[in-house]
Amino acid sequence: MKSVLTTAIAAADSASRFPSSSDLESVQGSLQRSAARLEAAEKIASNYDSIAQEAVDAVYQQFPNGAAGRQPRQCAVEGKDKCKRDFVHYLRLINYSLVVGGTGPLDELAINGQREVYKALSIDAGTFVAGFTHMRNRGCAPRDMSSQALVEYNGALDYVINSLA
Amino acid sequence: MLDAFSRKAISADSSGGFIGGAELSQLKAFIADGNKRLDAVNAITSNASCVVADSVAGICCENTGLTAPNGGVYTNRKMAACLRDSEILLRYVSYAVLAGDASVLQDRALNGLRETFGALGVPTGSAARAVAIMKASACAHITNSNDTTPPKRKMAVTQGDCSGLAGEAASYFDMVISAIS
Repeated sequence: MKSVLTTAIAAADSASRFPSSSDLESVQGSLQRSAARLEAAEKIASNYDSIAQEAVDAVYQQFPNGAAGRQPRQCAVEGKDKCKRDFVHYLRLINYSLVVGGTGPLDELAINGQREVYKALSIDAGTFVAGFTHMRNRGCAPRDMSSQALVEYNGALDYVINSLA
Repeated sequence: MLDAFSRKAISADSSGGFIGGAELSQLKAFIADGNKRLDAVNAITSNASCVVADSVAGICCENTGLTAPNGGVYTNRKMAACLRDSEILLRYVSYAVLAGDASVLQDRALNGLRETFGALGVPTGSAARAVAIMKASACAHITNSNDTTPPKRKMAVTQGDCSGLAGEAASYFDMVISAIS
């Protein structure tokens, strides 16, 4: 799974040489920045339930009947539960990506094929965008996390939003 | 290929849980000791040719039959191949130390190594002994404690306790030994 460490190792391996000082420098740079990423990941791990719930509320405020193409009966409790489940799933992968320091987990476990899945299920990606945009605007430093951690968190959310747009 | 971080992501994903609490504190310890880890990798890479040459010279001294006709490293061609393979194994151990995870070593070096050595007629006992010598030598370089014999090659690094990293590196060498013997 792609991260700064594995990228440096793969580069050294393809040239069949020991890790050079520039490889070690790039790893060190990544390790120095990783404290903020881990802080954001920690905050997500402890607050994912309320983050997802707020996102669901934001989605249903903007789309009172749920995603376009859904039947009204599916917009009741069941639809909201499934919507929240999906947001929790994305938050979990954002948590992994922040820990790894690359978008590998998001790419491999969610984004590859997501467009086809939502099209097949006739779910409008715009509903997800509404929820993620709410998360993106809701995060606040230093109330929720430090400003550097918030930058990392928002960066991951932007990546997801762009993948859905 | 995984590292200490993606290993946590893979194991959390298998249970569908978030990475929090205990796992994050382990990763924070990994980051806090990051400079030690880079120094350890540097200690291996800077002394690689010395470590490799010592290990191969060591097995030849311990077992003089190796260099005699029909021995495992008889002819310079076989000796050169032995030195090259030792260096490759040491290189993958250095990758594993850098990543903090053995997957690169297992996937790219050890997978099928026993069969390859068997097909090429490499004496696995001697090969395992060479790896054991590399283990002792590399761990001494990591802890910067290789000052018992002249020429007392020591690195000019900040002194600190690297016994944990030396133990981790030793475990990777042990994987190599158990993979070939």
